[in-house]
Amino acid sequence: MAASHENDSEMDCSDNEDCYEDYNDYYKDEDSDVEHVDPKKTDPEYFEYKCLSEEEVERLLNETVENLSNHLRISLPLAKVLLHSHSWNSIEVIRKYEENPQQTLISARIDPPCPPKNVIFSPTHLTCSVCVTLHHVDRFFHLSCSHMFCKDCWTMHFEVQINQGISTAISCMARDCVVLAPEDFVLKHLQHKTIIREKYQHFTFQDYVKSHPELRFCPGPNCSIIIYSKDIKAKRAFCDQCKTIFCFRCGCDYHAPTDCQVIKKWLTKCADDSETANYISAHTKDCPKCHICIEKNGGCNHMQCYKCKHDFCWMCLGDWKSHGSEYYECSRYRENPNIAHESVHAQAREALKKYLHYYERWENHSKSLKLEEQTLEKLRARINQKVMSGLGTWIDWQYLFTAANLLAKCRYTLQYTYPFAYYMDAGPRKELFEYQQAQLEAEIENLSWKIERAETTDRGDLENQMDIAEKRRTTLLKDFLDV
Amino acid sequence: MANIAAQRIKREFKEVIRSEEVAKCAIKVELVDNNYTELKGEIAGPPDTPYEGGNFVLEIKVPETYPFNPPKVRFITKIWHPNISSVTGAICLDILKDQWAAAMTLRTVLLSLQALLAAAEPDDPQDAVVARQYKENLEMFKLTARHWTNAYAGGPSVNPECDDKIKRLVDMGIEEHQARVALSSYNWDLERATEQLFS
Ligand SMILES: [Zn+2]
Ligand SMILES: [Zn+2]
Ligand SMILES: [Zn+2]
Ligand SMILES: [Zn+2]
Ligand SMILES: [Zn+2]
Ligand SMILES: [Zn+2]
Repeated sequence: MAASHENDSEMDCSDNEDCYEDYNDYYKDEDSDVEHVDPKKTDPEYFEYKCLSEEEVERLLNETVENLSNHLRISLPLAKVLLHSHSWNSIEVIRKYEENPQQTLISARIDPPCPPKNVIFSPTHLTCSVCVTLHHVDRFFHLSCSHMFCKDCWTMHFEVQINQGISTAISCMARDCVVLAPEDFVLKHLQHKTIIREKYQHFTFQDYVKSHPELRFCPGPNCSIIIYSKDIKAKRAFCDQCKTIFCFRCGCDYHAPTDCQVIKKWLTKCADDSETANYISAHTKDCPKCHICIEKNGGCNHMQCYKCKHDFCWMCLGDWKSHGSEYYECSRYRENPNIAHESVHAQAREALKKYLHYYERWENHSKSLKLEEQTLEKLRARINQKVMSGLGTWIDWQYLFTAANLLAKCRYTLQYTYPFAYYMDAGPRKELFEYQQAQLEAEIENLSWKIERAETTDRGDLENQMDIAEKRRTTLLKDFLDV
Repeated sequence: MANIAAQRIKREFKEVIRSEEVAKCAIKVELVDNNYTELKGEIAGPPDTPYEGGNFVLEIKVPETYPFNPPKVRFITKIWHPNISSVTGAICLDILKDQWAAAMTLRTVLLSLQALLAAAEPDDPQDAVVARQYKENLEMFKLTARHWTNAYAGGPSVNPECDDKIKRLVDMGIEEHQARVALSSYNWDLERATEQLFS
């Protein structure tokens, strides 16, 4: 579990909100009883990370920018653009820059591909081609490409782009010019526009974090925490602030033993097959690259993600560039589902049957998790009564909450074994998996049964059952969690 | 901002009117209202294409944020082209989306659309059915596009065989345009088009 959670001392069940949330403590206690072992080897879900605030992340990014700027002797805004375009990999930027600075600046869209023509004549007034107004040359500004536009037009250009959520990707206003406007240039033109400036800084920050593989926004509602880890894998991240648990790599609900692509596929399948998700699948889809939600608001099926600029097909979500030859597959399937022959029909029925088998179990465990949460609430009320009438203290009953939290954790993993199995190829490995899955399922149901009858179950018996269930869970993860 | 939009459109309107393309009757714009927010464009089908001899009317809506955002353009005249929807007239063209630049003008747009008619990009389709036909059966595509140009854009090339097949469907109670769409989609195979229409 997370090395960075040091909130054991805060565990006190008289303050019962906290102990309810944290599953991690169960293992901590256990670990300290046994001989000292390296959690990296024994815990298949071990993950080293930190929960950072926006300010801390800003500091971290600025440090990286400053170091690069000093190392390459380039300006800070330039260093920032270079880092952003290279996924914040300083070593890569330095290598490329030292090898060929000119090409590096061109591919980061800081410099134009062809050097701008020298303007020999220098008139006192120019007509801005955007607002078609004659201005004094003093009012004109340009990027490295030398395309001149008046100050007001730059300001308006930035305002319009920022209001559409674009920030690090704002380019020059000239036709076919790919040069990007660096942060200092944009801010210079938004001097007295506090609100839009703030918006811009908010969006650039979002872009920077999203382009940084070691940073991930906590997906919790209204949570501003950013998880930082050097271990860029589908690991279980737990937010200190809002207690959300999620996968560090994809930012979605944690999904071990299933991997990020498979769980995405599974969830999409479940959504597509459910009546209630009709609106979602009809009008919005996730960008296949950065997974941000895209709303379709035009007739064209060639979509471009407003965030990462990835081009994809609305129908099949395939990469647009490699789409040419595959387009027929793409449109034929959706538009002509009745083309099937008899045998294909039978196959489809079989496929549906298989899907429903896994789906029903997946859905069932999800419901169980919710029901068990209610059980825990009732248990809490009953224990509260006991404590009030002098039957022990909260600390005496703490093991019950620990057990309930462990149950939730085990069932959660069990739920996610179903999509894993659904997409697994038949063979001995699948047989082994399904065997272990069945074992885990059995022990989980045993544990659940005992917790429901907690007050009459022997504490030692319950703790023994907890041990077995958790061992089954870690065994399965050790054998099948591939991160 | 709306002020710049109007200022620019006034200027561009003149630019188009004075352009050599207008002299050659290749492009045209007209105002639809007096506040320069909606215009009617027209482009001539380029020579040596199935659209030759046709006149294609465009709806041009100027957003308040013009020219910082592109104009919204669609074909009013029905057209058979891989990058233009045969149903809605929606256009798939990069400069009308993310490749738009504030320094571009209506003239750029109209000329780009004309260029699109001369050189379709079937790998970047708007209309999947048309794009498929274009890639699988180019001659059939040309025939169909020419027929649509004749039927909707005043093109000169009459195809009696097409007209005859449409008439037969119309006689069965199918609306003319619907008949044309079905036949066009099934490579003018009357049997399959009929089957689709009555299924
Ligand atoms: Zn200007
Ligand atoms: Zn430029
Ligand atoms: Zn959080
Ligand atoms: Zn993931
Ligand atoms: Zn597709
Ligand atoms: Zn069962």
